[in-house]
Amino acid sequence: MDDTGGEEETSMFETSHVLGALLASSPLLARAWDRCVAATAAAGGGAAATSGFVHGGGGGRDGGPVYVAFSGVQAALSAAGAAVAGGGVDVFAPVGLGGDAARRLFAPLVAGEQDAAAGEPVAVQALALQIFLKLCGSPDFQMLLNQISGKAVVFTGHSLGGAIAALAALHYLCISSSSSTCAPAPPVLCITFGSPLLGNEALSRAILRERWSGNFCHVVSQHDIVPRLFFCPLDAVPAHMIVGMQLQEWPARTRHAAVVTTITERMAGTDQDALRQLIRTHVGAVAMEQKLAALVTPGGSPYRPFGTYVLCSPDGAVCVDNPTAAVQMLYATFASRCLLGAEPPEAAHSCYGNLVLKIPQHLLLKRRLCVNELPATSNYDTGVSFALEASGIDAMATEASATRQWLKTSKRAGQRPSLNCAHLATRLGRITPCRAQVEWYKALFDGDMGYYDAFKQRQSPKKFSKANMCRIKLGQFWDGVLAMLDACQLPHDFHRRAKWVNAARFYQLLMEPLDIADYHRNNLHRTRGSYILHGRERRYELFDRWWNEKGCTAIGTTSSTSVASASRRSRSKYAGLTQDPCFWARVEEAREQTVSVRCERDSVELAMKLEELQEFERYSSELVASKEVSVDVLAPQSSYTLWVEEWKQLKLREDVRTILFQF
Amino acid sequence: MPTDSPPPPPPPPPRAASLSDDDRLLVAHCAALSFPSGAPPASCPSTSPSFQVHHASHPYPCSAFVFPPSWSAADWAPSPAGGVGRPPFGDAEVDPALFPSLRAVGSGVPARANAAFLGAFRGLLDGSPLQSEVLRAVAEEKRVVFTGHSSGGSIATLVAIWFLEQCTRQGSVNQAHPFCVTFGAPLIGDSIFNHAVRREGWSQCILHFLLPLDIVPRIPLTPLASFKEEIQAVLDWLSPQTPNRSPAGRSHAIPEYYETLLRSTLSIASYEACSFMGCTSSILGTLTSFIELSPYRPCGTYLFLASSEQLIVLTNSDAVLQLLFYFLQLDPQQQLLDAAARSLSAHWQYEPIKQCMQDIVCVDYLGTISSDIPGRQSNRTAIGSVELSKEAILHLSAAAQWEKQRQRNQTKIDDNCRKIQEALKSLNDYKRTCELYGVSYYDSFKLQREVHDFNANVRRLELAGLWDEIVEMLRRRELPDGFEAREEWVRLGTLYRRLVEPLDIANYYRHSKNEDTGSYLSKGRPRRYKYTQKWQEQLQRIPFGSSLESCFWAMVEELQADMANGRAFANLRDRVVKLESDAQGWLNSGSLGKDVLLSSSSFVAWWKTLPEQHRSASCMLKHIPQ
Repeated sequence: MDDTGGEEETSMFETSHVLGALLASSPLLARAWDRCVAATAAAGGGAAATSGFVHGGGGGRDGGPVYVAFSGVQAALSAAGAAVAGGGVDVFAPVGLGGDAARRLFAPLVAGEQDAAAGEPVAVQALALQIFLKLCGSPDFQMLLNQISGKAVVFTGHSLGGAIAALAALHYLCISSSSSTCAPAPPVLCITFGSPLLGNEALSRAILRERWSGNFCHVVSQHDIVPRLFFCPLDAVPAHMIVGMQLQEWPARTRHAAVVTTITERMAGTDQDALRQLIRTHVGAVAMEQKLAALVTPGGSPYRPFGTYVLCSPDGAVCVDNPTAAVQMLYATFASRCLLGAEPPEAAHSCYGNLVLKIPQHLLLKRRLCVNELPATSNYDTGVSFALEASGIDAMATEASATRQWLKTSKRAGQRPSLNCAHLATRLGRITPCRAQVEWYKALFDGDMGYYDAFKQRQSPKKFSKANMCRIKLGQFWDGVLAMLDACQLPHDFHRRAKWVNAARFYQLLMEPLDIADYHRNNLHRTRGSYILHGRERRYELFDRWWNEKGCTAIGTTSSTSVASASRRSRSKYAGLTQDPCFWARVEEAREQTVSVRCERDSVELAMKLEELQEFERYSSELVASKEVSVDVLAPQSSYTLWVEEWKQLKLREDVRTILFQF
Repeated sequence: MPTDSPPPPPPPPPRAASLSDDDRLLVAHCAALSFPSGAPPASCPSTSPSFQVHHASHPYPCSAFVFPPSWSAADWAPSPAGGVGRPPFGDAEVDPALFPSLRAVGSGVPARANAAFLGAFRGLLDGSPLQSEVLRAVAEEKRVVFTGHSSGGSIATLVAIWFLEQCTRQGSVNQAHPFCVTFGAPLIGDSIFNHAVRREGWSQCILHFLLPLDIVPRIPLTPLASFKEEIQAVLDWLSPQTPNRSPAGRSHAIPEYYETLLRSTLSIASYEACSFMGCTSSILGTLTSFIELSPYRPCGTYLFLASSEQLIVLTNSDAVLQLLFYFLQLDPQQQLLDAAARSLSAHWQYEPIKQCMQDIVCVDYLGTISSDIPGRQSNRTAIGSVELSKEAILHLSAAAQWEKQRQRNQTKIDDNCRKIQEALKSLNDYKRTCELYGVSYYDSFKLQREVHDFNANVRRLELAGLWDEIVEMLRRRELPDGFEAREEWVRLGTLYRRLVEPLDIANYYRHSKNEDTGSYLSKGRPRRYKYTQKWQEQLQRIPFGSSLESCFWAMVEELQADMANGRAFANLRDRVVKLESDAQGWLNSGSLGKDVLLSSSSFVAWWKTLPEQHRSASCMLKHIPQ
């Protein structure tokens, strides 16, 4: 294990710029940009003004992806009035997705919040949301959704249009993920060019959780202020800059000459250097804050990046998918060569058409690394030098060394989950004999009292202590797995991998009865309350959810599970393990109830208890009849067999019979 | 070499596992045949023969099959008649009847290759005396050599692989020792094609000679279907029938296509570099479904003619792919037009091979790079006339690292061999003990009554962990290509499968998992057994799916379950008869243990419940104890 560090060093290579080269050398960005230009040109062009998007094939062959481009002109126009007046910043404030319409459109994103419990709700930029909601209500857009369903789609947009495209892509991902078809969801990609930040930290986390980071690709040029503007506190954001730059792109701006002229004048009056300095300070502050892992400073910007950032310079492109590293890169690229270039912000914001043509041409040239004087270092460091060069950061600049460190950290962070997962698989293999030990223990008592009661009563102490040891070891192993999962040290789709879901399920069905036995032996049900409500380990609740989410037929509810089991071949003999992990807890509760019924005098109370017992009888006999239980349940001395007998006795009583008869 | 000479000579580049003198002669011979002197080659374009055979006696008797290139784009990419849904790169699955080995063994995914070349090969096989000529050469105990320039080289490669398949099936590969030499041949197969060729150890006899700048090998990296006209323009220019060779003369089609070619090559090279450099970015997966990437990959041994003195030899397919891009990387001042012209004319500059083969030095360039201290490679970037950028060197050393990493993984796996053998030995003891008690270990394990049953279960689980790890690594391609063809592992895998799979089946039916998920064979069979079975079938060259002996018990269990569910024997008769005849074969060959026939075996008990009429005529009758 000790040599992994050194080995890792030599076999580690920086790939962010290689990925950038793959993206930039493909026709993808150029096609998306063409669509963006078309969307801006079409916007405001007469009757079609309201639709705000254009779509069509990407110029490739049939069956290629559909490109849908959104224009930000509508958004800019609607915010223009306020921006001229000098305000308008509030339209760029984040709003929660709690509204009725928004909650419906982004259900999975909002629904996942219950898990997070604490923390702020998911929020997005108000203007973009408002425009998107309007768009979503239009029949054109609904028709589009129908047309593109099942096809590969690229959502794209420039500037504010990109923010709307991202919301459209999010909505599309939400509806595809909740649709019931089992077919693999068609690929979705969202490409934004120079778009302002869209959502807060919670959105970024929700997207990570849903594993959608790979579907968003934010192209950012080196000195574009728009994608970085929202790192500043909202009251410091010059709203007219965003609006104005969006409108300048628009060929039909003469129709709204008055607004455009005013905005342009205001833009011209803005001190560009001061603006750059402002952005530099605040992006730098956010970057620094993340480095210290400090809490968000009050008054700072709520916005955070999500998805993959593609940082472009004429020399190349770099892809960063870790949000923290993305902030670092957004800062470092902007700060480097910032004062030398001094191109007007409008130029940096509208250069994307030029960039998507220039970068691939540049990539075909042999590059000379300017930093040949750099001492001989590892392959990894050489790779980082290329990455820095591709993103336009001066290797000698002060930002370079910090960025170096960040790229390395995010590289490691990216590799760790799959490594951990592989190690975990080996550990699972090593812990499995423990499981076999318990299976063996179970088989020992199958013919007698069942392993549940044997464990509860500590029958044959030696075997008991062995089984107990295994129970504890396995519990520790799975708790460790969950701890790693919580710390994001495992792949995002870990809980959807069949191997792990099955292993967890098998573990649960075998071991949870023992935990229930332990709980009841220690009389915790009296002090803490019922096992099912208060005593279950978190792991069991999670494993239940994994199992229910597995496959498409068994989504959540109990009704669909019973449908699924009905469609199955009926069992010819008893299942290897009882299929309801909480079966024994229910048996315990039923036995308690039976005891209390015996001395219950109040007839109303009695009736209620009897009803519950009858309910349990129905449930358990159904389970037994369908052979969903393991043989140990029916062992001659098992708690369940004893309960059946007690219940039979109880039913012989006159008053009980009368009440039962009334049901 | 005198060591005391005052000016220290520059250290000679390390030599690669260089060609033998005989091979060098043969290569020169091939070059002479592919580029016959007497300026324009036979000017009979329409009726050009599909191939020519030349017999030679020096250095040893051999028959050389020469395949001529085609200068029509239709022969490079299948006609887009199908239109929609046609793969844009014109690739198709290889015919498993002709190329049974060209597949990933464990997963069974077949290789893909250029459909037009596959069609041309098929045509030669069915419509020309190729087969009989080859057979004659073999019968006359001549060494068979396949060669060709340009697309002829690709055809030659296919013929050579077909011949190697034939030879290995008949176990006569050593006598024939075929040889394939191509000059400037376009890429032909996908990564599985390359994987299979390497696994079978055939890359040593497939030699591709390339000039670093030659455009032709890279043409399949562009979407063939959508650039047909441009490709035709390139081929027209290259064709010896065209008098005027100037890319400027062909308007702007060629330089434009050349830029596309560069970009496509860069895309592929970057994509592959991302994989072997360990890119974990989540966007990589999404991008691949939106960017059309050529499936073609280098395959075989590549020999780049860096100059008339130096030959860069590479067997690492990843590294070759990187070079295909980085050799073409433009100098900052270079015009695209000039670069295109150089790249096109390189396709006709193979003739010096005829003369220079004797003294040429083979260089292990990749070895040099990857053994260098990182960051210090700058003085070695130039070899011969070729200069590579520093980025190229970085990518090459990553490719070399990845190959080494796969080798290291294999060493790690090899260490498990002993553990596996020990566990197998203890399970073998278990099996024998059960037999001493007069029961089959299958039945004993299914009942799980004794302590040794429990211990066997622990062994089974330990082994499952070890083998699952191997299968996972294979699926992630983290082991060398040849792993699945290594005899010791195939043998161990077969041993493991025959001994332990019955225990997995017993466990499956003991827990009635067939009622949860379906029959063992269709739903429950772990990959570790499917893979090991296919390894053996591939090594033995027997049809896939023919050695299911380790699943004997699963078939018995399924028949039992069906009969218990009330299916009439008449409906099951065919399956029973099939099982009986299979079992007889397996019992006779010893691949199925005799323990299944013990009088207390559940198989025997079940068999005795079959109708008397069937039993009396069954081939099992003589095996079953009365």
